[in-house]
Amino acid sequence: MSETALPAPAAMRTAWWQRLAPLLGLFLLCLVLSLASPHFLTVDNLLNVLRQSTINAVLALGQLIVIITAGIDLSIGSVVGLTIVILTLMMRAGVPALPACLVVLAAGTAIGLVNGLLLTRLRLPHPFISTLGTLNVARGAALLLTNGVPISGLPPGFREATAGSVLGVPMPVVIAAGAYVATHVFLSRTVYGRDLYAIGGNREAARLCGIPVDRRLNLAYALSGAAAALAAIVLAARMNSGFPLAGTGAELDAIAAVIIGGASFFGGVGTVSGTLIGALIIGFLRNGLNLLDVSAFWQMIVIGVVIVVAVWIDVLRQRVGRAA
Amino acid sequence: MTPATPLLEVRGLTKRFGAQPALEDVSLAIAPGEVHAVAGENGAGKSTLMAILTGALTADEGALLWEGRPVSLPDVRAAQALGISMVHQEPQLVPSLGVAENICLGRLPHRLGAARLVDRTALRAAAQAALDTLRVGVPLSAAVREIGVAQRQLVAIARALHFGARLIILDEPTSSLSLDEVEALFATLRRLRGSGTALVYISHRLEELRAIADRVTVLRDGRVVATAPMTEMTQGALIAAMSGRELAADLQAGPPPPGTEPVLRVGGLSQSSRVHGVSLEVREGEVVGLAGLMGSGRSRTLRAIFGADRRDAGTVEVRTAGGWHPVRDVAGAIALGMGLVPEDRRALGLVLTASVLDNIGLRTPRGARRWGFLRARAIREVALAAMARLRIKARGVEAPVRTLSGGNQQKVVLGRWLDDTRVLLLDEPTRGVDVAAKAEIHRHLRTLAAAGMALVVASSEIPELLALCDRIAVMRLGRVVGELPRERATPAEILRLATGAGEAAAS
Repeated sequence: MSETALPAPAAMRTAWWQRLAPLLGLFLLCLVLSLASPHFLTVDNLLNVLRQSTINAVLALGQLIVIITAGIDLSIGSVVGLTIVILTLMMRAGVPALPACLVVLAAGTAIGLVNGLLLTRLRLPHPFISTLGTLNVARGAALLLTNGVPISGLPPGFREATAGSVLGVPMPVVIAAGAYVATHVFLSRTVYGRDLYAIGGNREAARLCGIPVDRRLNLAYALSGAAAALAAIVLAARMNSGFPLAGTGAELDAIAAVIIGGASFFGGVGTVSGTLIGALIIGFLRNGLNLLDVSAFWQMIVIGVVIVVAVWIDVLRQRVGRAA
Repeated sequence: MTPATPLLEVRGLTKRFGAQPALEDVSLAIAPGEVHAVAGENGAGKSTLMAILTGALTADEGALLWEGRPVSLPDVRAAQALGISMVHQEPQLVPSLGVAENICLGRLPHRLGAARLVDRTALRAAAQAALDTLRVGVPLSAAVREIGVAQRQLVAIARALHFGARLIILDEPTSSLSLDEVEALFATLRRLRGSGTALVYISHRLEELRAIADRVTVLRDGRVVATAPMTEMTQGALIAAMSGRELAADLQAGPPPPGTEPVLRVGGLSQSSRVHGVSLEVREGEVVGLAGLMGSGRSRTLRAIFGADRRDAGTVEVRTAGGWHPVRDVAGAIALGMGLVPEDRRALGLVLTASVLDNIGLRTPRGARRWGFLRARAIREVALAAMARLRIKARGVEAPVRTLSGGNQQKVVLGRWLDDTRVLLLDEPTRGVDVAAKAEIHRHLRTLAAAGMALVVASSEIPELLALCDRIAVMRLGRVVGELPRERATPAEILRLATGAGEAAAS
């Protein structure tokens, strides 16, 4: 009887209207901004927003994976800083762009894996602590490697390959889109994705169903580190240099995108599409406020309010859902 | 005691959630010094009624009379001020604070006016006074997390007394107590009754209601279907009133003889100070019970067999077509066809954020994974089959599992292990489940056994073990102290072994 019109067999579904709320918010935001500023609704500006949102969007993907397991990764901003430094140092030393990028992806994954191992091997009580540790270590390492000075003088090939565009779409946006599709498939179709939702929903129940909890957690943090390295590559292309303080505080924007996108801090709930919308809401908000000449200080206040309101709406929705 | 004016009288209480009535025209009267049981299956309206009596909800219609005077209870504080307190199933205490602080929580005695320094002397005196009323000894300065479940229960009751409660509502107070702790609690409750405190007692365990209650009111579908002195209600009448049908026959059905081939062999299983040299052999189609008091190591043994907890010594082996294989960890146990239905379905069994489908599919069914990808259709078929076989009541496989009743949630956990399972370990398979669902789960377990599955059932309820098992192993202090075949298993004999009472104590 319930065989009619089934949605994609995503591992842990949420009701359609629950997913729709962030989308509705994004739509309203765009509507208001396009009425307020004539410069908002132009192809150039929209592409610009997408380009500016890619770093946060990619970081948010890694953060989403970790938050689904009821964890958190505070280190990603610093991992961006460390990997961008490694990347630019290697390229300046003559390593071709592609191998350098692969090495950096491996390095990001490795740092993420360390985060996972601190949790699963050393049994640190909460990832807030372990990743706070790696946050400092990675940033310190980035500053040590560079003496605090930005690395410039990258080979021209790198910038051309990563800052160009495909059929009019900026390369960073193409990279982010690929990462989104891959993460969506990973979370909704694979055993690993399903296991991560289960671990976040009830770790002990997952364990008693034979899910290798520790291995999956290691994987989640490793992927988060990989996402940070990917963001670093995109950022290096945009800035054409490696700045050791790059990504400072970026973890907080990524967490905001995930939470605005409807994921639960308690784990077990969250979608790739929601996270994309969350990242775009932040991107459009920044862009729109810039176009309207609102100062950066006010932007922070607005974004802070949006985070609180988004989560509050979520709390209200759950209350309604429970009463029904 | 003049029976003329009840302490609390409820008249024509009605409460609707949307169009759905949760309570309809409920009336009952509670006298001072009376233990009044409220019985009913899950969803019968017990929780709603208690929420109204404690001020957590307000009724749509009806009146509350306290000592004959109409009162309104807009919130919990109003009810507490009047003298109504509730002790929840899981006592709501702050584990890190001391016993005295917990008893006086919310009204810590203080001095120095606005500085509100806690007056420790007054605090200890007030807490001690409440404990003295109960005539129980609980160390005042111990943190609540250091004391046992039974003592926490007493702390919660002492808190109610400290608040000046004259009517205390107890919700399933014995669900995690051992048999002797239950006896001690009952003695305390009887003393309270003697001092004129009225008690409303909610429990699924009918034997307990019989032991402690003076009167019983049975709720079904939000209505009062019976109210009578406990002595006038037979067990059968009570079950019939709660469920609306006769169920007694189900529990009496004898099991078919088990097969002859052993499938599970446990030898010398030990785990630190909790389990000592447990050996067990279970045959195909056999149901073996693990009886014992709280803390006797039943759950520990099951979890150690399954590989969920570390073992210090011993072997666990499962026989497959290819011979005997050792069980090392959970993944290995599952691969060999072993399953565990854990003790606390909400904490250990279910992913409450997920659907029925995902919860059943959590133990990935055979053939449902290919190169790391899940085959959604295969999982769906397994889930639909489980729902049909166990008659799980839910809006569909997509329904969030948290919206299901306790009995149906339990069936979801059981539903994981219907296929490819040789040995199923069950820990308290019907705890917190209503009478009808309990009988149904028992029937399903017998069916699984009849089809050749070996079952090991740990339970604190002796009637459950007697109804299900071919053989009962009794545990005490981490050891198996006796094995009783079905014919020789009686409650008295099981208790004698479980408590370690000497031969002389045997009846």
